[in-house]
Amino acid sequence: MAGKSGRSINNVPEAPLKKMILSWEGILVILLVLVNIFCAFYSEFYNLSSLLRQMPIYLAEVFLLLPMAYILVLGEIDISVGSIVCLTATMSCIVCNTGAPFIVVILTALVVGAVCGAVNGFILTRFTELPPMIVTLATQIIFRGIAEVVLGDGGSISATNTEGLILLTGKVGQIPYILFLLVILAVIFAVVLGKSTFGRRVYAIGTNRLTAHYSGVHVQKLRFIIYTVMGVCSGICGLFLLSSSFGANTTTGKGFEMDAIAMAVFGGISSTGGKGNLAGGIISALIIVCLRVGLGQRNVHAQVILLILGILLICAVALPNLIGQARRAVKR
Amino acid sequence: MNKKLVSAMLCGAMVLGSVMPAAAAGEGQKLAMVVKSAGNAFMELAAGAFKETAEAEGATVEIVYPEAPTADAQIKVLDNLISQDFDAIAISANDVNALQAKLQEAMDAGIKVSSFDSAPNPDSRQIFVNQAGTVEVAQALMDAVLDITGGEGQWAILSATSQAANQNAWIDAMKTIMEEDDKYSKLELVEVAYGDDLPDKSTEQTAALLQNYPDLKVICAPTTVGIGAAAKYLQDNGAACKITGLGLPSEMKEYTGDDKACPYFYLWNMEGLGTLTAYTTMAMVAGDITGAAGDTYTAGDLGDYEVVEAADGGTEVILGAPMEFNGENIEEWAEIF
Repeated sequence: MAGKSGRSINNVPEAPLKKMILSWEGILVILLVLVNIFCAFYSEFYNLSSLLRQMPIYLAEVFLLLPMAYILVLGEIDISVGSIVCLTATMSCIVCNTGAPFIVVILTALVVGAVCGAVNGFILTRFTELPPMIVTLATQIIFRGIAEVVLGDGGSISATNTEGLILLTGKVGQIPYILFLLVILAVIFAVVLGKSTFGRRVYAIGTNRLTAHYSGVHVQKLRFIIYTVMGVCSGICGLFLLSSSFGANTTTGKGFEMDAIAMAVFGGISSTGGKGNLAGGIISALIIVCLRVGLGQRNVHAQVILLILGILLICAVALPNLIGQARRAVKR
Repeated sequence: MNKKLVSAMLCGAMVLGSVMPAAAAGEGQKLAMVVKSAGNAFMELAAGAFKETAEAEGATVEIVYPEAPTADAQIKVLDNLISQDFDAIAISANDVNALQAKLQEAMDAGIKVSSFDSAPNPDSRQIFVNQAGTVEVAQALMDAVLDITGGEGQWAILSATSQAANQNAWIDAMKTIMEEDDKYSKLELVEVAYGDDLPDKSTEQTAALLQNYPDLKVICAPTTVGIGAAAKYLQDNGAACKITGLGLPSEMKEYTGDDKACPYFYLWNMEGLGTLTAYTTMAMVAGDITGAAGDTYTAGDLGDYEVVEAADGGTEVILGAPMEFNGENIEEWAEIF
């Protein structure tokens, strides 16, 4: 019975739960195919090469999904990542404009991201009773505030030394570097979450933090690591965003935290913790990217695209409930 | 019977079609215009005229709006357009340098890139259609400041964002003019404030200027949002400080006149800008011009134009000197735009 409630440590990936998630991923794959068929009919220019060409600017956000999945599985949330993206893009743009070697620019992004993430992690593990939603709401305001102060009156900065940034947008054949990096990181994050002891412990904490603690899991150490990694990935996102838009402004990364959470939830990762896996999240990210490119090619207003994505998300969270009800009805 | 009727009509249509004159300048061309943002009445005038002119010449036209008035939003839009085999893109840039990689990608794909209203850097474009030469505008504004202050005293500038390409060019040119001629030597430019083209922020900045500089005589706002917000604030508060700059007659109607907050202000004809951009873009697609200095072409009713070297090292065509709007003509122009 413990398996059914999803509240046990050892039984997390057991049969009934696993079956449901598997079927959800199945639905997502079908949806991905349908979205691509739709886009191909909708836009005469939609094909693999135009998709690969237009993808990079949307892929930057997907870096946030990877660690966000861990945080959601923990049963927590980090809404400060959009601000971390803004701050890292701003700081690395400033460093870039000084003419520093590009490796220094990359390091700046990673270090600024890591520091921001570690600040979240430190507060959350030092004061364990504080809700992550409130703490990261505060740091969201603080990190963006710092970026705004740094950006000054004009509220924006543009890259004047674009050489290194252009390198980042390079391609092997038609495949952009960002896609390679994303695939590599996605595999690592998915395997660690799904197959390693570390991943098991994340599920254990998300299922029941107290039980995990008494079972000898270093709950706080693990949370600190995950929040710091979240920051590092925000740094990667900020760097790629900088390389595609050659600048940063006070709106850079705004709403990215919600996009990442939406991708994860759409992918079947429960925001109450302990459930879901990364594969679903990555497929749902692909669905969103394909839709954005396809609709964009017919110059559909960006706001209308957001509206469509919102409706999709509602359907996605409502559907498992409907399926569950249908199953129960059939069983009776 | 019916079939015969249909085929007869088809034949008739074909004959008519072949007789119709096919000399339209934009026949079969597919043009896109990228504006700065949605909901900018000023930009809509140029966009409307662009569409009307090009469509009358037989081109298909798409006006595209980025989701936000930022360069990264325009980059997404350009990405979309490059996929769609347009013949040309006319853009008003939200940032001078940020669009370079994307616009070069467009040019590499064989798309002609013209710009209007706000130019991207010379490497990012083939031509810039300038609403009024930078120097002409700056000169008109400096003379307005000189006239309204009475020749001496403090004045300030209320601009859009600190990155706005056209505003910065005008401000720099104004500073140069002020330094070069002795008649401006008694004018003191106390501050360049940035209202970010947001009404609220422009109002706040105006209030701050008045508070910080009680002796301020004139605010010059080379942006439609800024001048509108500042004029309202100055008039509502009965301030002695006057406003001038670049504005829309319909938005400035209540505030313009000798006894009001704004004695007079300037603007060019945005519709003329859209029309000239359309003819320029079509001429480039048709191969009549390449965008190099010295190229000449005819822009419909606007007359003949010549491409010249721009101050930033690129090339441009200049629509003409700005036009003055005052208490006498404001009513009439407010009806139009």
